[in-house]
Amino acid sequence: MEKWIHQIEEWIHQQPIEQLYVAFAVLVFTFVFFGLFRILRRSKSNTIVLVGLSGSGKTVLFYQLRDGSPHLGTVTSMEPNDGTFVLHSELEKKGKLNPVHLIDVPGHSRLRPKLDEFLPHAAGVIFVVDSLDFLPNCRAAAEYLYDVLTKAIIVKRRIPILILCNKADKVTAHSKEFIRKQLEKEIDKLRTSRSAISTADITSDYTLGVPGEAFSFSHCQNKVTVADASGLTGEISQVEQFIRELVRP
Amino acid sequence: MLDQLLIFTRGGLILWELGSSLKGSPIDALIRSCLLEERSADAAFHYDAPGAAGGAAYTLKWVFDNDLGLVFVAVYQRIFHLLYVDDLLAAVRREFSRIHDPSRTSYDDFNETFRQLQKEAEARAEEMRKSKQAARVPTAPKKQTSGSGKQRNSGSSGNTSGSGKDESDGDSGKGRWLANGSSNGQGNESKDNSRAPSGFLKGKETGAREVGAFDVNKLQKLRSKGGKKTDAGGVGSKATKAEPKKNVKKNRVWDDSPSESRLDFTNPVDERGEEPLEVVEADRGESMMDKEEIVSSESESEEDEEVENEKPCTKKKGWFSSMFQSIAGNAVLEKSDLKPALKALKDRLMTKNVAEEIAEKLCESVAASLEGKKLGSFTRVSSTVQTAMEEALLRILTPKRSIDILRDVHVAKEHGRPYVVVFVGVNGVGKSTNLAKVAYWLLQHEVSVMLAACDTFRSGAVEQLRTHARRLQIPIFEKGYEKDPAIVAKEAIQEAKSNNSDVVLVDTAGRMQDNEPLMRALSKLINLNNPDLVLFVGEALVGNDAVDQLTKFNQKLADLSTISNARLIDGILLTKFDTIDDKVGAALSMVYVSGAPVMFVGCGQSYTDLKKLNVKSIVKTLLK
Repeated sequence: MEKWIHQIEEWIHQQPIEQLYVAFAVLVFTFVFFGLFRILRRSKSNTIVLVGLSGSGKTVLFYQLRDGSPHLGTVTSMEPNDGTFVLHSELEKKGKLNPVHLIDVPGHSRLRPKLDEFLPHAAGVIFVVDSLDFLPNCRAAAEYLYDVLTKAIIVKRRIPILILCNKADKVTAHSKEFIRKQLEKEIDKLRTSRSAISTADITSDYTLGVPGEAFSFSHCQNKVTVADASGLTGEISQVEQFIRELVRP
Repeated sequence: MLDQLLIFTRGGLILWELGSSLKGSPIDALIRSCLLEERSADAAFHYDAPGAAGGAAYTLKWVFDNDLGLVFVAVYQRIFHLLYVDDLLAAVRREFSRIHDPSRTSYDDFNETFRQLQKEAEARAEEMRKSKQAARVPTAPKKQTSGSGKQRNSGSSGNTSGSGKDESDGDSGKGRWLANGSSNGQGNESKDNSRAPSGFLKGKETGAREVGAFDVNKLQKLRSKGGKKTDAGGVGSKATKAEPKKNVKKNRVWDDSPSESRLDFTNPVDERGEEPLEVVEADRGESMMDKEEIVSSESESEEDEEVENEKPCTKKKGWFSSMFQSIAGNAVLEKSDLKPALKALKDRLMTKNVAEEIAEKLCESVAASLEGKKLGSFTRVSSTVQTAMEEALLRILTPKRSIDILRDVHVAKEHGRPYVVVFVGVNGVGKSTNLAKVAYWLLQHEVSVMLAACDTFRSGAVEQLRTHARRLQIPIFEKGYEKDPAIVAKEAIQEAKSNNSDVVLVDTAGRMQDNEPLMRALSKLINLNNPDLVLFVGEALVGNDAVDQLTKFNQKLADLSTISNARLIDGILLTKFDTIDDKVGAALSMVYVSGAPVMFVGCGQSYTDLKKLNVKSIVKTLLK
């Protein structure tokens, strides 16, 4: 070992000094380049993830955003729908548009683990809620939303979430304010029961909100907004706005 | 005849559809209770649309195209036994995969092709039926197909309609007409022989699978409206049967740790008298329900990071190999390729104590989902099969509803009623022991618990619970021996309401699944008191009997129920987990058969030995 080190030192001293400088500069430059590339690439992620309970309308929304119509309809998804495309409504715009990478994760509870595969790369999350059939599923929706809000990745990177009240075109659909209040109430209750077993619960790495106060979405560190839309009729302007804010053209 | 034929992608988009709208939502039901439950190798699925008279009963058959990620489903009324559906589905798959294009979303030109295919398939079926009839003695008007369906006990049968009718005629032929019994018998035999060559007639196999399909349907139907009622009904009757007495259990010592002192908790002063001795309050620290997960979550996060880093790598590899695919020749997975890999996997699962039936069904389901898929040149068959099996196992073991009991307890508390849990199971699996563990865990989370001693048969059961109650310092409701457990439970719940206990844990006697009077008594107890959670306690040492236990328990609970939506088993408590090293297959068998999630795992004999099931580690252990 000692001999080798000695030999290397001699060899270095023998080289002309400029070569050493150049070699060193090249090394530093490569590292800096890769480092920057990594940081820049992460912040430029253009992935949006659609989550929600089964039957809330995610696949319809996916196809609406992609093609402008849900075609013949959908059934319960067994696999995620993944596509990178320019939003259909913006196809007419001139100029270079940044395509959006949209992922529709199945809502069936057996397929929940798939969500963890896609969240690390997400720039934004759209949580789709069925505003027509809301009250029977309120608890399940709130639990799912709570799980999403307390995931480590969401909290650390402050990924913005849009709560979308889908099926708003129907007459008996609830308003987004009502849904928002109901979700806040349910999450408040969940906080108290989940914090009791927080050490046992893998998914709840963080707790939400301010202890002692009623929970409200403004307590979250990441931005949580509520909007309504209708996947079937195509009134998805708020969704598109959300997407465009995150994925800069 | 066909009500609907649907072609959709695995991601959920409907590509082509023919037919009128159906009552209810059979396709969604098919996906949720069959395909996602890894029962895709079943022959058919039955669906009863909920609703008033006029709720139609449908039969669904399906076929996968794993290469393109498509599913083809045919729906028709159950009373029709259409011969040609399997044939038609195969033909449709062939034709459609020719014109399929990932970017296209409308296939209207397929209508013509389909009509033609349907005519061809119907013609072929007619021919087959006529050729069979020609070989037989001509008979009087045939019985209705529904009659023959009942006789043969198989609803699904596009493949047996013709033969079903013939067989019923054969039987009636034997009975009524004194035409040569022998010639009719021979007619039947020749029919049986002619059944073999025709590819799509599956005969007895479907009979066996029908039971599986039937059970799933019943389970799904019966569970779909499982609501929580708050009443506690009337009076039940009890029927007891003498069972051989069990030996007193000795405390097992598993390693060389010094045995605990105070093994004998019985009180020298007799039963109902006051206690002069002080009983040490049980306080062994945190239950493992709360502790264990920290360790696993650390390793889990490491795993997740690794998985994360791997994901882009595997994606690159996939793209790379798919690039090569277009250059090099690629292999389409055939059943014969999958067989050896699947057989190896099945054997491995069986060495891990998975019930044989379950391993078989699982392997078939994985085969159904992989057949026809194009294999990348750099991936071996065995690794594809392994990943598919891993995903399937993960899917089955992931609970489909929340297993957060504390949340449910809080909800019940808000409604002002106690949360009732009933522990059921066969003899000697550890109901009373684990009941005490669950009570200990609940107590640690500031929930007030009350025990109900509804095991009024086994000697010492009430004393055992009394001792636990004293150590945990919680109230116990007991009425001694030889009383009707259903009534004891009802009174216990009333008492809990009056003294504001949050949870009532009801202990029942162990009973074998084919002991009719005892199962009746159990279903009476459940019907009367309508508990919030019916927890089946099963030991991890059980082998193939797990399947039998769970199916029979569920069946009896469903059959003997007085209300339309019977309460079935809601959750599983797996006990004696510390006695098996890596033979964890019982968990898989039980979850697959019943569809209920594993809510607790008992891993020792002291109060703190209760934990949650770690799905990822179980899957890893099963496939190691």
